[in-house]
Amino acid sequence: MENKNGVSGPFTVPPSSRDNLILLTMTTVVVAGLALFLGPIGLPDRYILLNVRLPRVLLGFLVGCGLAGAGTVFQGVLRNPLADPFILGTSSAATVGVMTANLLGWHNYYALYFMALGFALSSIAFVYRIAQTNGKAPIQTMVLGGVIVSLFFNAVVFVFFSIFYRDSFSILFYLLGTLTGGDPKLMSISGVFILLSLAVCWAMARELNGLTQGEETAFHLGIEVETAKKILFVAASAMAAASVAVAGMIGFVGLVVPHMMRLVVGPDHRWLIPASALGGASVLILTDSAARTIVPPFEIPVGALTALLGAPYFLYLLKQRQNAGEF
Amino acid sequence: MLRLEQVSFSYREYAVLQDITLEIPRQSFLALIGPNGSGKTTLLRLISKVLQPRSGKIWLEAQPLSKFSARELAKRMAVIASDQHFEFPFSVIDVVAMGRFPHLNRLQRLSSKDWEVVDQALKVTCVDHLRHRPISQLSSGEKQRVLIARAIAQQPSVLMLDEPNSHLDINHQIAIFNLLRSLNRQHQMTIIVVLHDLTSAAAFSQTIALLHEGKLIKTGSPEEVITTELIRQTYGAEVEVFPSPLGGFPQVAYGPDG
Repeated sequence: MENKNGVSGPFTVPPSSRDNLILLTMTTVVVAGLALFLGPIGLPDRYILLNVRLPRVLLGFLVGCGLAGAGTVFQGVLRNPLADPFILGTSSAATVGVMTANLLGWHNYYALYFMALGFALSSIAFVYRIAQTNGKAPIQTMVLGGVIVSLFFNAVVFVFFSIFYRDSFSILFYLLGTLTGGDPKLMSISGVFILLSLAVCWAMARELNGLTQGEETAFHLGIEVETAKKILFVAASAMAAASVAVAGMIGFVGLVVPHMMRLVVGPDHRWLIPASALGGASVLILTDSAARTIVPPFEIPVGALTALLGAPYFLYLLKQRQNAGEF
Repeated sequence: MLRLEQVSFSYREYAVLQDITLEIPRQSFLALIGPNGSGKTTLLRLISKVLQPRSGKIWLEAQPLSKFSARELAKRMAVIASDQHFEFPFSVIDVVAMGRFPHLNRLQRLSSKDWEVVDQALKVTCVDHLRHRPISQLSSGEKQRVLIARAIAQQPSVLMLDEPNSHLDINHQIAIFNLLRSLNRQHQMTIIVVLHDLTSAAAFSQTIALLHEGKLIKTGSPEEVITTELIRQTYGAEVEVFPSPLGGFPQVAYGPDG
């Protein structure tokens, strides 16, 4: 088989990453625009548009960026295409952080945020440590450890919930993940952290590429492995924690989006990180629009919908890897 | 170029390497051999700074190895480690371009000169025709050649490999060793390679270092190291060494007991 590039053999044409990224940016803009005008009753008025829909779309954008960005970085650093802040228990840990801060009466937004980050970081460090044997963290142990940590923190959440928040429906909604009621101040703090962390990870895209080849190999390519890993873990946890602090536990976006984006722009993190951020934003805004319109006049928490769609996809990936003999 | 002075290493209480003193001159082709557990891979990991010696000193270009940052080290030595991951579908050219990492600043893009180096590395290793294929889809022999191409793209003066011929058919083994030999001769690269296979060690290397129970038993030319006596002693196997019919190097023969 000879193609126009003069290369023979079974051969996949590399995706033109730049073109696809531009396309993705346009898609995100279109999706955001649609989401603004999509509603159960006709066209929204100016008030709803500016004070209800716009903040929601913005929040969807930020949280989508944060979750998918965190997922991409976790997957790269752990060389584990099934890693994601939700699966690894980072999101539940951050939730407990947020609730603890609330219970302690710390209503300062920074305190709230740093509690979320602190819990997120300790939990990912813990999961990594228990999974690590001979310098490797096997993917099955990692996922299993994450599920256990997740169950544990979820239990803590429900203990808190039943004692302190008995009557609050909004907390339940928050736990399931929602883009409603985004506090503008918390939203802007989270937004700054998400975008800054994304920038840091993007600047370390080459290190991430190297790390996917194995930690020893990364070192031999000139990467200070431990430093790079620490910075990337902190940045990814910061994104996840910021997302959780403002929108609760929205699962599977961080898992599914990086996968889809690898098909679109390839595995190079210089393209993959921005692509995942945009892809995550589009997916979350779209899912949220569906969550608030499919069963009018009710609204489903968007986290419930992402889990309903994401869980089967996770199983599909798991099965696919098994078939490829990679487990 | 590389010098080890009384280097020792232990995992907890267990001494893995004792008192290794070894001089590796520029442009040598050194094979590290020895039975399983003799410490040859550990020695390679010490020389490549993955591990730090418990005692003793290692020098690279007359400077202590510990002084080199990962980046400075990667400009001088390329190592093909045994931990290879191909989880993500990077194309061959992406993988080889990673070899330019130590030469680039953060956010700096590969210049046309960098791409020339990458192109050259792809050609020398005969993987040019695979450049857009995902590395995960290649055969073991092709993968090994791509990894060597990435190492060449680093433009190092030392290239280290840990059993580059394991899992390869004999034709691919010969191709890899001939490639290493031409890198050694034409590109003045120092080659250090850990080998199980005594035949290829004898056929392709200039110098052989024989390790046994963490000690350096003998260093010398293949004729000096691969002898019936020494191999029997260290490997504890009934072998016979005789000059290869292809001439110039020793060959190890063995058969069923009795």
